[in-house]
Amino acid sequence: MAATHPNKGGISSVQVPDHTRDDEWSGLLVRVGRDRDRRAFERLFSHFAPLIRGFQFSRGGQSSAPEAADELVQEVMFRVWTKAPTFRPDKAAASTWVFTIMRNCRIDALRKSNRQPATDESLNVEDIWDDSQDEQPLVYLQQARNQHAIAAGLQGLPPEQSHVIEKAYVEGKSHSEISEELGLPLGTVKSRVRLALKKLQSSISR
Amino acid sequence: MIHHHPDNNLLLEYASGSLNWAHSLVVAAHIQLCPKCAAQLKLLNSVGGSLLATATPSASLESSEPDAFGKLMQRIDRQPDKDEEQCAGSGSSALPLRDPIFASVPPVVRKLLAENPVLQWRRLSRGLKEARLKTGQNEREVSFHRIAPGSKVAEHDHRGREITMVLYGSFSDADGVYTPGDFLVREPGEVHRPTATQDQECLCLSVVEAPVALTGIWGKIINPFLSIKPQ
Repeated sequence: MAATHPNKGGISSVQVPDHTRDDEWSGLLVRVGRDRDRRAFERLFSHFAPLIRGFQFSRGGQSSAPEAADELVQEVMFRVWTKAPTFRPDKAAASTWVFTIMRNCRIDALRKSNRQPATDESLNVEDIWDDSQDEQPLVYLQQARNQHAIAAGLQGLPPEQSHVIEKAYVEGKSHSEISEELGLPLGTVKSRVRLALKKLQSSISR
Repeated sequence: MIHHHPDNNLLLEYASGSLNWAHSLVVAAHIQLCPKCAAQLKLLNSVGGSLLATATPSASLESSEPDAFGKLMQRIDRQPDKDEEQCAGSGSSALPLRDPIFASVPPVVRKLLAENPVLQWRRLSRGLKEARLKTGQNEREVSFHRIAPGSKVAEHDHRGREITMVLYGSFSDADGVYTPGDFLVREPGEVHRPTATQDQECLCLSVVEAPVALTGIWGKIINPFLSIKPQ
């Protein structure tokens, strides 16, 4: 839960429940996309930049230098500006949409640092991690509420399960990397992930 | 109707960005054809969104960048919106797309074809052809396999994990029948002998960790480069 106040700067100081806040970020994203509204964008920046930095910093060990985090913020928010016209508030919560952009930026950065041969650079990250939103509106109308339920569900997971979930999402580690790092059999990592997902799924279908 | 899906572990690795490039490519191709997995991906993306929304904010003050927002706006002003540009570049309809076998492939495969306009088919065994694809990585072999109607592929085992997705037609092995969209994982050591259905050619996209060892008599590469006929 966003128990601590994520608002720096320009955000309204009134504390409102999370799902309403999600609507607020969605509304700002729509304004950025439709009107190229810079004030709205600045408020999004003040909200998401510290979260992106926080996400990056909690990655344990690797590349958590402030410069790397700053670079990530610049790249993610640049793409947020560019892609805002494609954001559809009825299809995804604002934070999920920003997450997918951040994930893609990190994949790009990782590829650059691994120096994939330039001649072979055929597909780009968005061909594979396509974040354009599909055309199945009705099913996902409750997206923001789902988001809220998932956040609550994550809080309720047993520590050994939330640990592997965070390692995958925050640190970007594959199951086999997690298994090596924690000294657990791969099967154990897999079953923890599956159990966690089952719980999260039941938390939204309730 | 798709019956064989990537499991939740693979989908989560894909959604979190921790799955390697080549496997992500096949998972993406499946998701683009499979509403069930697309819905599951939504959930998995939301997990990432929730983790971002509840991250402990790291104050901008710690940043080494004093005016990060100003810097960003400068970049934005220097570079007018040009997100459409990339799409224009890939407009040239790739040659292989005229082949009906490629007519209804998912968007990521279409893009792959645009980036590999000349497919070099080589015969692996009777009734089986392979064309390797450039995908922007070289840890794993990504290729199309074409099985002629009714052909049996030489029995082979896998030294590395092999992931296959059917794009056109169908094939069967001892475990079942696989139709477009079906997603199969074969672990190292599993031996199988796929057979295409009688009336149709079969096209698959596959990713192999280490080269497949053909164990039978047809295991030799007989004719390395058979080009596809353009029309």
